[in-house]
Amino acid sequence: MKISDIIVLAWDNLRRNIFRTILTTTGVAVGIGSLSSMISLGKGVSINISKQMENNDIFTGLTVSSRNIDFDGLGNKTVLFNGEKEVVPLTENTIEEILSYPEVATAFAEESKPAMISIFDKKISTNIKAIPVNMKDFYPFNKINYGSFYTLDNEPSVILSKNVLGKMGIAIEEENTNLTDLQDKTIIKADSIIGKNIEIITKVFDLDKIDLITSKQKQLPVKNDTTILKIKGIVHSSAFSAGIFSDGIFLPPATCNYIPSIDLRNVYDIINDQQGKYGKYTSVHVRVKDFSQLKTVKQRIEEKGFNVFSIGDKLEDFEKIFFLLDTVLAAIGTIALLISIFGIVNTLIMAIYERRKEIGIMKSLGATSRQIKFIFYFEAAIIGLIGGIVGVSGGKLLSQFSSRVANSQLGNFIDSNIEYFSYSWKIVFLSILFSVAICIIASIYPADKASKIDPLNALRRE
Amino acid sequence: MTLIKVDKLSKTYKKGDNLIYALRNINFDISEGEYVSIVGKSGSGKSTLLNLLGGMDTKAEGGIYYNGKNLLQMNEKELSFHRKFTVGMIFQSFNLIESRTAIDNVKLPLIFSNYPVMLRQTRACELLYNMGLYNRALHYPSELSGGEAQRVAIARALANKPKVILADEPTGNLDTATSAEIISLLEMFNKKHKITVIMVTHDKETANRVSDKTILLSDGEIIKTTYKEKQ
Repeated sequence: MKISDIIVLAWDNLRRNIFRTILTTTGVAVGIGSLSSMISLGKGVSINISKQMENNDIFTGLTVSSRNIDFDGLGNKTVLFNGEKEVVPLTENTIEEILSYPEVATAFAEESKPAMISIFDKKISTNIKAIPVNMKDFYPFNKINYGSFYTLDNEPSVILSKNVLGKMGIAIEEENTNLTDLQDKTIIKADSIIGKNIEIITKVFDLDKIDLITSKQKQLPVKNDTTILKIKGIVHSSAFSAGIFSDGIFLPPATCNYIPSIDLRNVYDIINDQQGKYGKYTSVHVRVKDFSQLKTVKQRIEEKGFNVFSIGDKLEDFEKIFFLLDTVLAAIGTIALLISIFGIVNTLIMAIYERRKEIGIMKSLGATSRQIKFIFYFEAAIIGLIGGIVGVSGGKLLSQFSSRVANSQLGNFIDSNIEYFSYSWKIVFLSILFSVAICIIASIYPADKASKIDPLNALRRE
Repeated sequence: MTLIKVDKLSKTYKKGDNLIYALRNINFDISEGEYVSIVGKSGSGKSTLLNLLGGMDTKAEGGIYYNGKNLLQMNEKELSFHRKFTVGMIFQSFNLIESRTAIDNVKLPLIFSNYPVMLRQTRACELLYNMGLYNRALHYPSELSGGEAQRVAIARALANKPKVILADEPTGNLDTATSAEIISLLEMFNKKHKITVIMVTHDKETANRVSDKTILLSDGEIIKTTYKEKQ
């Protein structure tokens, strides 16, 4: 008996009870669809979100500081703490040395100044941050949403973060803007912001207010200083971006230095008699070329006596969570599949009772037990194949829909279209193969039972 | 030339503590091309004997030799070969597969015997044509009369060109006229194609008329063997 004959016989048998076959196949499709969706969700979340994080900066960025920052103590307000370690000052030489590491893509001093900014008669207090021109190649500045990044380190331009605009009550009009979400905001077209002037108001010492004669100071000897710069672009870094890029306004280092401002950190250091102890810079931002080099670079910098902080350290914890997520999701999918397996076993056992006489006739015509078994295996395999294909296709369609819904809901938060489900060809192929295999396994008992039917008894019963 | 030799064949089954003989020490020979009828009352062991001859049942003592090979000692593969190529079985209740058309029922043994796929349709059509059922080929068994259904069953039994036709009360469910048609068909295949026919029947008169040899069974034992007078 040829395999093609077995397939035809199996197909005929399934077609005969088409409604039951459809129901059983649907059960398998739901099971395989759930399993493949769950696995692809687990993979998608771990791969795509990790990739998203790596592509951004959260896992390729390091923050180097002289001060030992006790992050665990943040909640207890014991933030700054030198401990017993000898303090190594952060200077230009430090940055140069870090830049000489082959694994390092770029490094720059994290300099920021508190300022009040004003556009469209709206004002807000924020930080102005010095970002060198070469950051144009790195996230988030390689993905400027509107306008462009500045080209000179002394250009009188700024890049606004979308978050700052949001805090000022300004929303950029976009194609998919949901007006109901922006009821309390002023909606402005990006074109009308780019190229506009922005006022940066900083505090400087006002020598006129210092009363050297009476020494009775009634108010702080400070005054406002206004610098006017041009808005060159608007950037929106995702939730996976390092903190320094998520808020504030960004401007070239020379321009930032040009803006006068009281360096409150230095005042604090003067009070504590620590002037010059920590070096010129508070912290340095370092980007490694590849996520895998993060640990090496971190170790090298730490060996120099600096404190280094990086979220990338936590990736191993993330990987454990992803593994747990994969396992839990696969378990949920497997439960759905198990239920469908019971459906197959039930269908095939029912078929044995219905086709008892037929099996007897086939045996009387010369069919062997093996051939009868194979007819049942192929029936199960066909159910598995169709169920697998339908399940994986349905799962993929549903996952695309789910991804779209999730992105539409979380898009503003994450700011990128993440494919939450990773339906690789490997998952598709293995799911269908698994579907066929599991259906054949489910058919072993019914097929064995069918093959053992005594033709004499089967025909006598009728 | 002896085709089948039944030697000291006995079959027993237990009923409570008692051992019941379904067949007891059966001995006979059947030659090639012979028409043999097995007659007897209900429960005399006719169908049990036919099932043993057909290899549907092998739990018995003694021997059933086809060309010298004991059927009762054959493995599953050999039994399958026996059912495919040596014998063709016809049943009282036709035993056609209801979900398959007449032609598909006839093609079924050709599938199990690996008959060339391209020639199956032709072979099945030819058989149905010979049975006068060419126009009923695409009908389902439920759409056929008793006589037509039995003729489809005969066509199916002949599909793999067996040497022996085993017919278990082939006219039991048919009216007199149709029964006569079926008997003539069997006679025709026996005489024209030299196919050995072993038929189980209640009808002694028909058996005596058409058979070369009539075996009368009673309580599992052969009580009489009648030979047709040579004309």
